[in-house]
Amino acid sequence: MTQNLYHNKTLQWLFYIIAFGFLGLVPLISDDEFLLNQLATYAVYGMLAVSISLCWGSGGILNMGQGIAFGLGAYCMAMTMQMQTQADGTIPPFMLNNGLDSLPLLWVPFQDTTTGIIMALVVPTAFYLIFGGIMFTARVSGPFFAIMTLATLSAFATIFVDLQAYTNGVNGISPPGSLNLGDMEIDPYSSGTYWFVFAMLLVCTFAAKLINQSRFGLIVRALKDDPERVRFLGYNVAVYETLVYTLSGLIAAIAGCCFAVLTQYVSPAQFNVGFSISIVIWAAIGGRNSLIWAMFGAFTVQGAQSYVGDQFLNTWILILGFSFILVVRFLPGGVAGFVETILDRFTKPEVEPDPVDLKISDAKEVAK
Amino acid sequence: MVAGPARHHITVCVNFGGHEMDISSIAFANSLILGLSIASIFFVAALGLTIIYGTAGVINMAHGEFIMLGAYTVYAMQTFLGVPYFLCIPAAFIVVGAIGFAVEKSLIRYLYERPLDTLLATWGVSLILIQGTRLIFGSEPKFVQIPSFLSSNVEVGGLSLGAFRIFIILMALALAASVWFIFYRSDFGIKIRAVTQNREMAASFGINSGQVYSFTFALGAGLAGVAGALFGALNIVLPTMGIEYVVEAFLTVITGGGALMGSAIASLAIGEWQSIFALVTNSTFAQFMIFVLIVVFLRFRPEGLISASGKRR
Repeated sequence: MTQNLYHNKTLQWLFYIIAFGFLGLVPLISDDEFLLNQLATYAVYGMLAVSISLCWGSGGILNMGQGIAFGLGAYCMAMTMQMQTQADGTIPPFMLNNGLDSLPLLWVPFQDTTTGIIMALVVPTAFYLIFGGIMFTARVSGPFFAIMTLATLSAFATIFVDLQAYTNGVNGISPPGSLNLGDMEIDPYSSGTYWFVFAMLLVCTFAAKLINQSRFGLIVRALKDDPERVRFLGYNVAVYETLVYTLSGLIAAIAGCCFAVLTQYVSPAQFNVGFSISIVIWAAIGGRNSLIWAMFGAFTVQGAQSYVGDQFLNTWILILGFSFILVVRFLPGGVAGFVETILDRFTKPEVEPDPVDLKISDAKEVAK
Repeated sequence: MVAGPARHHITVCVNFGGHEMDISSIAFANSLILGLSIASIFFVAALGLTIIYGTAGVINMAHGEFIMLGAYTVYAMQTFLGVPYFLCIPAAFIVVGAIGFAVEKSLIRYLYERPLDTLLATWGVSLILIQGTRLIFGSEPKFVQIPSFLSSNVEVGGLSLGAFRIFIILMALALAASVWFIFYRSDFGIKIRAVTQNREMAASFGINSGQVYSFTFALGAGLAGVAGALFGALNIVLPTMGIEYVVEAFLTVITGGGALMGSAIASLAIGEWQSIFALVTNSTFAQFMIFVLIVVFLRFRPEGLISASGKRR
């Protein structure tokens, strides 16, 4: 073998297909409704990890505020679901408690399910486009961009708590019924919903993988390594950065929609700083440069967290903190980077041709 | 958890007995004074971060937790050893400074070439510090005792401010003066500035740049400890209290550009605007407005008010 198997594109796709094949078969093995709902929630976390891997692993844009798109998507979806259960002309009970007597303008688009779902995808994506555009054209990058996403996330959490009449404050929105699409009811505890969320995860991951392998992806990876050089080559770096950031936001928005459907509940906790950073932790431990390993990172960390249970939660966070530090310090590529190194051992280096011995006399020949 | 320090403490006291001024101008003057108080809190919170970022370019996400450790140091010394409050402040500086020194020696110094990774690694440190504190002290709130003369309210002609808040303003001035002295009037300061300008060149003139970074980090952590000693008395002491301050501290440093003077101006501007916005709307919305203004400001001046190194980010 002269090429590291890790970099073989055919094998990569094979690995993706086998992994997703297994995930898709889960409902055939188990029909435990609670487990399916739980696993579908993990698929949502997987989508978030994929979105972080796309903008951080490929584009080098550390986004510590991915909760913005996730939360906005989830809120829009929950608002749509809430309006589905409202009889015509009535408004959600919490609005009445907060002194509103008619539906505020902010909620009007969500009366219609199709518009609501479109809003759930468009609002976060448009926000990312504008925010990313502002930041990247000002050439804010690296740690500063990370801090700005964090600050913006905090601002969102603050404002969603503050606008109690519109968002029900810290209590959040819990639609009484599940989502209805046409005549179909999306029961969050069914294998159909699992397959739906799974299909979303599959589409997002494969799309992100295709983006990574495209010419666009190549430029994005180039600007991670050296944005100045890419700029000198004539590319508009800000446009590429904004686009990859927005695409990752779109994936997170889809994740947010799925989350609201699955849990039938949103609250400002979706804008929690700690939650957004834990998405980064999943991707870092799994491997930021690999979409699928980032996804496995999300499954493993969240799975382990619910496995150890509340009793050992304290110790678990300590372990998580330590393993995160160890990964950052010794394994910047995460588990994926480790696998890459192992596979490298089995790779024979290509036989390099003998270096051409250039002599001064040759140069003189050329000069003539 | 996103609530800034301002949210819990803004109580605009209007003395209705004041005859010289009408109520609205008293309220406005009060909010200016309150803004000064908020600014001093932001400045004290951001001071250690400014030094660490301005010198080593490290974004220290564990800064909030260093503040928290400062507050717990004071709590522990008061409760278990009975040390008076004013002695606890330097003690917090030493204890948290030592912790910062250990963190730098064991982790940060391997990551100076990878700024994004320092940010992540220090987040890991902050997780461990929060959790470690929770395991040792428990999750229930603790309280720091302050001398009785600091818990009174000072009123002058209808204007009113807590004595402790005045103490924090004075501390902010004292700390700024000491940091200025260390940086611009001491041998260590010359070394720090040399290393900041050009690490290799400084090293070739015989300055141990690794050691300068270690001590600068320890100094920044120690200042966070002092901030914790002050905030612990202003607020309740919780393992998660650091998160309240860290976002504001970062915004102050970024807006200021990483220089000492920049942070001072930025915290003054943020504090006053927040207080004035809060007078017009409410304090939560005021915070939101500040975030928006900072994003707009950074669009036009990404290097901040006063750029420490002149480098473009």
